[in-house]
Amino acid sequence: MSTAQDGSLPEAIPEQAGKPDHAQAPQTNDKNTKTDATETSKPAKLSGAELKAKAKAEKAARRAQVKASKEVAKGEAAVSSAPGQLGPSAGEVKGSKAKGKQDGGATTTSGAAGRPVVSKGPVSVTPSEPKLTIPECFSHLTMAKRIPITQADKDVHPTVLALGQQMATFTIDESITRLKATLLAFKKVIDSYTTPPGNTLARHLTPHVLNPQIDYLTACRPMCFSMGNAIRWLKLQVSKIDPDVPESDAKKQLCGGIDTFIQERISMADLVITEKAAEKIQDSDVILTFGRSSIVERALIHARLINGKKFSVIVLDDPYDRKGQTLAKNLTAEGIRVTYCGDLGGLGYNLQDATSILVSAESMFNNGSMYAPSGTCDIAIAAKQLGISVIVLCETINITERVATDSLTYNEIDPERSSGESLRLLYDTTPDKYLSLVISELGSVQPTSVPDLLRKLEESN
Amino acid sequence: MAGISQSELPIRNNPDLESFDIVTVYHKLLADDPELTMPVAAIEALIEALSQSSAKTVFETMDLIKTQSAKLRGAVRNPIALTHGTDLFQQYLVLSLKQPGPDGKETSSHENFEVVRQHLMRNGRLFAQRAKQAREQIAAVGRPYIRDDDVRGGDGYFTVLTHGGSRVVGTLLGRAAESVAGDSARRFKVIHVMSEARHAESNRVVAALRAKGVPVATIPESAAAYAISKTHLVHMVLVGAEAVTANGGIISRMGTYQLAQLAKAHNKNFYVAAEQHKFGKTFPLNQFDLGFDQEMLDFHASKTQEGERKNAKHPIEDPVDYTPPELITSFFSDSGVLTPTAVAKQIIDLMY
Repeated sequence: MSTAQDGSLPEAIPEQAGKPDHAQAPQTNDKNTKTDATETSKPAKLSGAELKAKAKAEKAARRAQVKASKEVAKGEAAVSSAPGQLGPSAGEVKGSKAKGKQDGGATTTSGAAGRPVVSKGPVSVTPSEPKLTIPECFSHLTMAKRIPITQADKDVHPTVLALGQQMATFTIDESITRLKATLLAFKKVIDSYTTPPGNTLARHLTPHVLNPQIDYLTACRPMCFSMGNAIRWLKLQVSKIDPDVPESDAKKQLCGGIDTFIQERISMADLVITEKAAEKIQDSDVILTFGRSSIVERALIHARLINGKKFSVIVLDDPYDRKGQTLAKNLTAEGIRVTYCGDLGGLGYNLQDATSILVSAESMFNNGSMYAPSGTCDIAIAAKQLGISVIVLCETINITERVATDSLTYNEIDPERSSGESLRLLYDTTPDKYLSLVISELGSVQPTSVPDLLRKLEESN
Repeated sequence: MAGISQSELPIRNNPDLESFDIVTVYHKLLADDPELTMPVAAIEALIEALSQSSAKTVFETMDLIKTQSAKLRGAVRNPIALTHGTDLFQQYLVLSLKQPGPDGKETSSHENFEVVRQHLMRNGRLFAQRAKQAREQIAAVGRPYIRDDDVRGGDGYFTVLTHGGSRVVGTLLGRAAESVAGDSARRFKVIHVMSEARHAESNRVVAALRAKGVPVATIPESAAAYAISKTHLVHMVLVGAEAVTANGGIISRMGTYQLAQLAKAHNKNFYVAAEQHKFGKTFPLNQFDLGFDQEMLDFHASKTQEGERKNAKHPIEDPVDYTPPELITSFFSDSGVLTPTAVAKQIIDLMY
């Protein structure tokens, strides 16, 4: 399609149109209007093609450069190479050299910015279209992606389809909630499963039924560590099933197992952690928390309503998703005094009043590091400096046997708030030295004792 | 849960325990035997309660242990040490009931329960005996750390700074001053930081050491920093503990924390001698997170008369403080020399 435009309009617009259009390009991206987009893309390609011809005639070296950029940008080579070439030829064309250099310097970024302009026309108008280029050094990081239901594997169960959409849109976000929803969905999958003739459940269920569901969920949003742990457990349970057991019994056994798992590792765990965390809150304490975590919210409300403690809460919020506002509202409704701060701007000031920090971990690594929404680490470091204890709430199912010393080994790119210029990571890793206490359902331990908890779990199984 | 079972099932709440008062028994045990520590006294009181009751089932027994432990906890101001004792006992009961019985039968079977119960009744004093043995074990474990003057060949005796009336520390130092099976007596000096509040106890400890031929210098608490700062004067700080926390810190006599801070500041080794039965699940985050109010801070101006002050504080009789694991070099325990991290690991293995 783009080549057709290139061919049809080479001489229609004079050179002068190219210059102001480049200045306009970023603005039109924001507007997202179809007509504007096509207009800008046309002259961009036009001048690109023209300049390409000129450059060809002038220098072979420049041509090599064009080729290189063409290779990088592949399909949209025409768009992405155009601003790159403007730099060297700008002197010849007109005086706006500075502008040209700017564009030239940021070849990849402006190319990326230009890309949706082209793709928008032919494909769709959905804003969820991934419009960012991920730099090489972040290429190992994964990102949630909205997959149209029609493109999903035919084996994916309707419940899982719906769940995948909810995860991709971050409607279900917290690790433990995702885990619970996944297990419940898998229960439905197992319930509606019939072993085909000539197969045994233990050998057929995992590769042919469970794996497509898991693949689909992972494609929608990268699995969290707790889901990984639980799925490993579930697969083990499936493989343990005696082939002589009738199918209905085997299914009942699996579903019962999942129920027990949810009961023990999620529901009871949450209950125990809530109580233990609430015990740590005393009268006239000032608890600081970050964003909104349901277990922190429950612990605070428990301390207020059941233990009858009078304390106040400082809610620092993630400026990107403002879930802390919900927390602040819910706490206020229960009669807890809340100070709300929309970002980490006044961190030092807010910390001065705090007696302890209460956060929940997305996951705990085996070396005692905490994987939590990005921003948590900043708070923990600042708190450590002021001698304020940082209390982490974490169900043991969230503990992974992996180890992380930095925030980049394991992370996730925010699909909603990343652009061509910058990308946002959803999580960060807080080293154990900044944490004081990890409250899990097995007991309260220091962060460095997290592997002991894992060992304890293995022993009890 | 207990309420439902009481109304629906024929389970008695406190079987035949009307006349039994665990709190009196506990205090009597402590008073009768000055060598007894609080956790062990709590365990013995619980065994006493068990033998007085006619609990026949596992549920009844566990319920009894729980209610009696709670009663005991409620009766004292500082329940940390005795809670460690009752927790340990509970854990011991659960573990021994889980184990297959003598006939290798199903776990927690009725016979197994009876065997465990009988064993406890018959060996009620075993805990106390073991606790005293533990002290001797610790003395043996810690002995190599008290070095003899000759080994150093230096300008003075090896010097230990200590405080309080810890029985473990007393045993350790006392044994080090004796010669044991081919190992000659250690020649060392002791600086004892006298407690103003408990002068008699300090005097007794100092007198006992002096009687063994150990030169002891006594200093007031205010001189601790002065004494500890001299290079090659103090070689180690050795203290006891009331309870050992889940992170490898200690709850000990008020004043321990500052000694630990001073030791750290002057790069002296800070050792703690404590038996394993003092280990427990307590996890304080700071000095004021012990779970009870010691009421140490009592603000008032002289204008208000003493009698008029309504909310006058009543400071606890035996105040304690919390020494975090970062300040502790090692523990001398009956299971060997342990770093605070190893202690934390052992507590997780033991109690969680």
